[in-house]
Amino acid sequence: MKKIRDFITSPAATLTAFVLAVALLLFSSVGGARAALAYYSETYRTQVQMQDIGVTLVENGANVSWRDYDTNDRDGSWDENIGPLLSKMLKKDEKLKVGARYPEELAVHNSGTIGQYVRVSIYKYWLDAEGNKMRDLSPDLIDLHLTNIGGGGWLEDEEASTPERTVLYYSRLLASDETSPLFADSIAIDGMVASKVTQTSETKDGFTTITTNYDYNGVQFCLEAKVDAVQDHNAQDAIWSAWGRRVRVNDNGVLRLVASE
Amino acid sequence: MRKKNILLAAAAVSLALSTGIGSAWAYFTTYTQARGGYPIELGDRTTVEEEFSDWTKHVVITSSPDSQPVYVRVRAISGSVYNLVYSGSGKWTPGADGYYYYSDIVTGGMSTDALDVRIENVPDDVDDPASFNVVIVYETTPVRYHEDGTPYADWEADLWTGQWKEGK
Repeated sequence: MKKIRDFITSPAATLTAFVLAVALLLFSSVGGARAALAYYSETYRTQVQMQDIGVTLVENGANVSWRDYDTNDRDGSWDENIGPLLSKMLKKDEKLKVGARYPEELAVHNSGTIGQYVRVSIYKYWLDAEGNKMRDLSPDLIDLHLTNIGGGGWLEDEEASTPERTVLYYSRLLASDETSPLFADSIAIDGMVASKVTQTSETKDGFTTITTNYDYNGVQFCLEAKVDAVQDHNAQDAIWSAWGRRVRVNDNGVLRLVASE
Repeated sequence: MRKKNILLAAAAVSLALSTGIGSAWAYFTTYTQARGGYPIELGDRTTVEEEFSDWTKHVVITSSPDSQPVYVRVRAISGSVYNLVYSGSGKWTPGADGYYYYSDIVTGGMSTDALDVRIENVPDDVDDPASFNVVIVYETTPVRYHEDGTPYADWEADLWTGQWKEGK
């Protein structure tokens, strides 16, 4: 008994106990730190997935334009690209064949991490050589063939559509990384553009000269598509707030347009 | 002093609540867009060249460099006294309407092969070829395309000077 008491009171025992205490303290701290790190990392990742929204316009299977909340940069910036439409419609030095139909497959891809509802506004118009819009030429001669309207999932908002603008809503929830059905599949310029002329006549020295000019010569047709996306949560109010359009979303997530009163 | 404290507290609570309302109204939205197009080139200008030798007219139609592609047809008109015989490359084929149709599309800057129109039954005592009134008539029509891209000629196409209706 005396030996045990002598050992406990000896400097060696005190030193051993001190070293042991320090070791235990260090191990317990490391464990806590690791637990805290794992816990915060998981929470952080969850928040990112809940907040990312992004949408991409797809043309003939290729991403053309997109605007995605930047996952890698949390300062509120966006990964954004605005590409041209129809850039591969003609080969180099190839001229447009009036009347011929060209593939133009358009769809929307959800490039965010949350479900969303989308709509597309399609604009068709003519530009003069200076890039000014020519309102006296018919947008109907730019024949973008729409597809999957109605039963295919896309709804045309006839209240918002005009000869120049067509507004389509995708009636179903577009899940993350999902691509919608096509809303257009081809484009052609109506052959009528080669028949529309303006004639002027001038009589001089007894001779009458009639000059015929093609109204559409030198003008440029323009196709524009704008895609809007809004979060799926509380979609009815979100769409009303963001787009000013009354819709109903049923329990299955199917959207329908509500006629204005 | 006490009233003042109550007002300050109420203002603080209102501010805190309004912050919450603001976040409830903020919805996640995004958008993107793209556009593109091409110019339309219409109109054509063609000229006819005629050479006369050995009682034969050699006819060539040439398209200006900035012209859109066209189809060409040609015929010759004379009095019934003289018989006209056509010949040329295999690209000229007769139509039921008396025209000879050139099978190839004539693009800007290109020319047709020569179409030879020989005048027969010429009297031996005629010395002045200019006294023969053989007129060459040619027409062009812009190349049109079916939806599958196949080109065709529409010789009956009318030019239209009216106004669009219902957007057209």
